Formats: sequence, C-alpha cells, structure tokens
Amino acid sequence: MGKLSMPLSVARIRITRVLREKWGLISWLAIPMIIVFLMSLIAGTGGGQLTGRLLITDQDNSVVSNFLSGGFNQGPMAEIFTTELVDEQQAATLMEAGDASAWITIPEGFGQAFLDNQPTRLQLVKNPAQNILPQMVETSMALLVDAATYLQIIFSEELAVLKPMIEESQFNDAELVVLTLGVKQQIDRLEETLFPPQLELLEKPIEQLPDETAQNQITFGLLMFPGAIFMALIFAANALAVAIWDDASNGVIPRLAATPSALGGYFNGQVMSAMALLGLLATVLSVLGSWYFNLPLSQLPLMIVWLVFSGLVIWMLFTALALLMPTAKVANITINATTFPLLMLGGSFFPMESMPPWLAGMGQFLPNGFLLKGLKDWMVRGEALTDALWLPLLLGVAILLMFWVLNRMLLNQLVHKV
Amino acid sequence: MIKTEQLSKSYGQFVAAEDISFEVQPGEVFGLLGPNGAGKSTTINCISGLLKPSLGEVSINGYSVLSEAVKAKQSLGLVPQDLAIYEDLTGQENLNFWGQAYGLSGRQLKDRMSTVLQQVGLESRAADLVSTYSGGMKRRLNFACAILHEPRALLLDEPTVGVDPQSREHLLSAVENLKSTGTAVLYTTHYMEEAERLCDRLAIIDHGKIIASGTLAELRSHMGEKDLITLQGDFSQVSEQVLSDFEVIEWQDDSIRFMAADAASLLSDILSRFGKGQVKQTAVQQANLESLFIKLTGRELRD
Ligand SMILES: Nc1ncnc2c1ncn2[C@@H]1O[C@H](COP(=O)(O)OP(=O)(O)OP(=O)(O)O)[C@@H](O)[C@H]1O
Ligand SMILES: [Mg+2]
Repeated sequence: MGKLSMPLSVARIRITRVLREKWGLISWLAIPMIIVFLMSLIAGTGGGQLTGRLLITDQDNSVVSNFLSGGFNQGPMAEIFTTELVDEQQAATLMEAGDASAWITIPEGFGQAFLDNQPTRLQLVKNPAQNILPQMVETSMALLVDAATYLQIIFSEELAVLKPMIEESQFNDAELVVLTLGVKQQIDRLEETLFPPQLELLEKPIEQLPDETAQNQITFGLLMFPGAIFMALIFAANALAVAIWDDASNGVIPRLAATPSALGGYFNGQVMSAMALLGLLATVLSVLGSWYFNLPLSQLPLMIVWLVFSGLVIWMLFTALALLMPTAKVANITINATTFPLLMLGGSFFPMESMPPWLAGMGQFLPNGFLLKGLKDWMVRGEALTDALWLPLLLGVAILLMFWVLNRMLLNQLVHKV
Repeated sequence: MIKTEQLSKSYGQFVAAEDISFEVQPGEVFGLLGPNGAGKSTTINCISGLLKPSLGEVSINGYSVLSEAVKAKQSLGLVPQDLAIYEDLTGQENLNFWGQAYGLSGRQLKDRMSTVLQQVGLESRAADLVSTYSGGMKRRLNFACAILHEPRALLLDEPTVGVDPQSREHLLSAVENLKSTGTAVLYTTHYMEEAERLCDRLAIIDHGKIIASGTLAELRSHMGEKDLITLQGDFSQVSEQVLSDFEVIEWQDDSIRFMAADAASLLSDILSRFGKGQVKQTAVQQANLESLFIKLTGRELRD
C-alpha cells in the first residue's frame, strides 16, 4: 500500500484537475463525435446507413476486362463496395432506383483494343445523390485507366508478345499478375515522362434520388467510428503529455524531487491517471458507437481494453516527445504539430479505406495507424482476433516498455530544465 | 542538522556559489542574507538535492544528500522561492497531496493538516480553490505544504517575498514556532529586519561567497559600534582629505559613505567641512546588518 499511495495520490490529483476543467474533457468527447456525424453526412444521405454498391457490366468479357473489374474487388475498395457483375438491363434498373453508387460499363472489344494499342472508352454512371462513394470509384478507375494506358504505351512490345499468349489462353492468372506487377513498378519510375491516357472515362450522371435504403453492410460511418475514438484518445494523450511540462514549470516536479517519494511515484501516477481518463473516453465513445451502429455488445469489453492500450501507447510517445524538448513552449508546439498529421494520416479524419493506397500505406506505419488498423480488421472486417491484433499488440507493448524507461530518465532531467 | 562543507556550484564558467560552509543546529534559525543573485537559492537547491554541487558535501540529519538521498530527504522540508502548488486545487487538496509525497496518510495526515492550517491561519479558506487566494495566502500555503511531516530540517527560500504585513506576520511567527519545537531552519532573505528578528546566527552572502558570518552581536561588532553616514550632493571638487580622520567606505561624485562613532553629535562639525550647497542630504544609520553589508561590499542590500 505504501508503494501505491503516492501514485494513487498523483493520479487522483490529475483526474480531479482534468474533470474540474470540464471543457477539455468535453471537447475531447465532442469533436470526434461531430466529425463522425459530419463525415457520414458528406458520405451520403441517411446518416451513415449508406451502402457502397458498384455495378459492372462487362460486355467484353476478356482477360483484360476481367482484370479491370477484378481491381474493384481487391484492396481498400473491397472494404467499402460490394461489386456486382450485372447486365445492362439490371444495372439501369438499379441505378434508376438509386440502389447503387456507380455503374461501370466495359464495352465489347475493350480487351482487344487495349492489346492492339487502340483508343477505347469506359463508361461510368454515378449516383448523383451520393458524394464521396462515387467519387472514390471515379478516382480508382482513373488510376486503373492510367495504369493501363501507360502499359500500352511503354510496353507495346511486351504486349505484342503477350497478345498471342492471351488469345490462345496459354498462361495462368499468377503469371499475369507477376508480369503486371513488374510492369507497374517500371511505370512508377517513368510516370513523369508519360503521355495523357488514351483511354477516356465517359461520365453520364443520372438525376435520380435514391430511396432510403438501410442495409446492414459496412457503412462509411462505421468505418470512421473507431478512428474517431482514436481522435479523442489522441487529444487526451496530447493534453496529458503537455500537462507534465506544466507540473515542471509551476514548480511541482522540482519540489517533488526534494521529497522522499521522488519522481518514480509521480510518473506511475501519471500512467495511472492517463489510463483512467483514456478509459473513460474509450468507454463513453465505444458504448455510444456500438449503440448507434448496432454492434454486438460482446465486442465491447475487448474494444475498450484495446482502445485504452492504444491510447496509452500514444500517450507514452507524446510524453517522450514533450520531455525531450527544452522548454514547455517548444514541447507544446511540437506535440500539437505532431497531433495533426497523426490524425490525418492515421485514419481519424478520413478512414484509411477512402485514402489513396500510398497514403493509407504510410498511415499504417504510424503508431495510431497500426493500432487502429488492428482494431478495425477485427471489429469491422471480421478478421480473427489473434490474426488482427497480435502484431500491433507486440509493437505496442514494445513501445510501452521502451518509452516507460526513457520517460523516467527524461523526467529526472526535467528538474534541471526549469 | 543541516551541514554544508565547502559547497560550490558553477554553471559553466560562472560560479554561483563558492566554498559555502555552515552548520545549522536543531532549534536554531540560520539566516542567509544577500542581494539578488547572491547565490542563496543556488545554495538551498544544492542542499535539497535539486542541484548537484560541483564540489563539497551536504548532509541532513547526518545523511549525505548525494549518497543517502532518501534518508536525507525524509528529514527535510523545502519551501521553494517560487510557488509550487496547484492553483486549480483547494488548499486542502494541496496539503493532502504534499502530505502523501512525504509519506503521511490517514488519520495522521488529517491531524497534521488541521494543525498546519491553523499555524498559517488558513483554516477558513482551506476548502477554497487556491486560485481565489491572495498572493500572501498562496505563500502561506506554499509554506504549510513543507511542514506537514514535521521535518527536522527546514529550508526556507525567501518565504516572505512580496507578501502583505499580515501574511508576513503569520509566516514569521510560524517559523518562531518551529524553532521552539527544535526544528533546524535555514532562512534566506534579503530583508535584514527579518534576519534580525528570526536568526540566531547568519551568514552574509554576496557573489556566491560568504563574506561575514556569526551571531547578530558578532556581526554588529564588525561595525565597531559605529554609525554609517551617507552624504549626498556634489562632491566632484572636494578632496578626500576632508574626511581623513574617518573610515571612508565609498567616495563618489554625488555620494560619500563613511563610518563614525556617535555620528549624531559630530554631524554639524562634519557638515562645516564642506562648502555651501555641496551637501544636499545626510543620512545616519545605526550599526545594523544593512550598514554592515554596505561596509563590506560598498553596495546596498536592495538595489
Ligand atoms: N541555471 C542557471 N544557469 C546559469 N546561471 C544561473 C542559473 N541559475 C542561477 N544562475 C545564476 O547564479 C547566480 C545566483 O543565483 P541564485 O538564484 O542562487 O540567487 P539568489 O541569491 O537566490 O537571488 P534572489 O534573491 O534573486 O533569489 C545568479 O547570478 C544567477 O543568474
Ligand atoms: Mg533566490
């Protein structure tokens, strides 16, 4: 008890002060909620109950067109859209009823024209009642079309070799993929010298409002909501890390250094109060989110534990960053400057699923990024618990241990900075 | 109880404290008197373990502050020069926090809190947020937080800076009270009235060095029971020979300082040695710490 009473006392003081300040806590809770709400409004009507449904009519049915339509069935696109192959008749009906986000038509002869290096066109019809989702289809298509065009121009000779292979069906899918990947890498290097694409997108918006369809699919709001909780955690971690500097500037830390309990108890108390406050935020927001998005309650406890763990990892990093700085002011500026990119790239403002792949890839290397991705892989995408979480857990624990030791050292030095 | 031996502290080339040696006994108030930047806080911070001395030894209650820090700190109370309390907590919450930091808890802590609150006269405000306190009340709380655990050695770094007479009286009588219960108190100040009232022994410190030390009586005898006379006016045309039979401390174009026994009766004689209109103001100070400081350094204690 003797060993714990100092940390408990420190933690109680911190919690009292944070709760007494009210507005800090309220803004940590409210800003993320407002952002989820606004983002799900932007994503479409119906407060986040929108289904991304992508229709593809493949009139060509060649290897190349399969390859193109398959692109929408992979990677981040597959998280948001269900792709359906439909005929023209079905597609028109669905689009007019507003039941789909976009409709792509691949015309007959597309594959052949592609291989022959002839101009050709894809047709995209967007649902005008939706904003972000059709936009995403368009951007992705533009990328695919660009890639395909570059392929034609730069690798016309290789394509000429490939053409008979394809026509005689003497290859397997794996070879094609490997070949394409190699080619894509070449393209990335050559991108600047390339010409405008020869393929074009023909857009044909229709004027039709969708019905209020509420289907239980992955929704934009649901994709955002774990990230928004992370935003609250990051806000709190930011403020709690900077608060240590305040304790130094107002003389409390130096004075504590002159007491027998010294600074070990102080730091443990900071860890405890951070956990308690992060726990409070995580619980309130997870319960609200689970209720709003109809999530199974069985997920809730583990979700909260994971959120607290993630928040603590972020707090530990912020604290190290703050304590490394020479003055309170510099610490404050640095932490704030770090917070913004963490939020933007780490999937708190925009879900990673709606980011360009290279950006989302970057975000996953950020601590909040991989911790969030683990959570979503399990919660939203239904991956097995251990598959989704073991690596982020390992990394998080490693960060916690390493930075715990570092922060203890930095805290002792802090006494001499003020 | 509090002991420093040849304590020195440098910041790079700059020597903030040099060769400071003294010992404070239980039940004794030892004063460290010096102007701004003299090295008082530096000395205190070396004793409390906040600063690492560049040279020398510090011990509290027989324990070295460097090698037996925890034991040394158990007997130590520190009132830092700058307030170190939480403004957004109540007085009571602050006391509770600092009491725990010194290892108090439960009934014992509660009792001590009410005793200490009474000692500094804050009982009626204990439940209010510190941000609603006056400056003097904050200083009193800052002081109270350091004596909860009844330290045997107490370091006070200018505890009365900028406080109103009422708060000052509370603080000074609390120190007298601690002294009577056997606490060893190291008291830094640049108010010589406080030093004269509280301190059994003191050291005058300037530019990081102790320039005189002893009991109040011993220090006074440095002055040879002489008064300090300060003349102001225009002395640019006057030869120093005029005052050759006195001990001149400082001679400038616009002011002269010198010592004289029984200055009051000599004043008319002295003034007659100067020409008309040369002396515009005269001041006579009886032997005290202020005049001693001026004698030792040629400067006043307060700028
Ligand atoms: N961290 C530091 N780096 C460099 N110089 C310092 C540092 N801290 C103090 N000093 C210098 O050391 C000298 C002694 O400072 P100190 O704070 O001990 O004076 P003091 O006697 O307590 O003065 P005051 O009455 O103003 O509190 C001053 O000249 C000060 O500028
Ligand atoms: Mg000082």
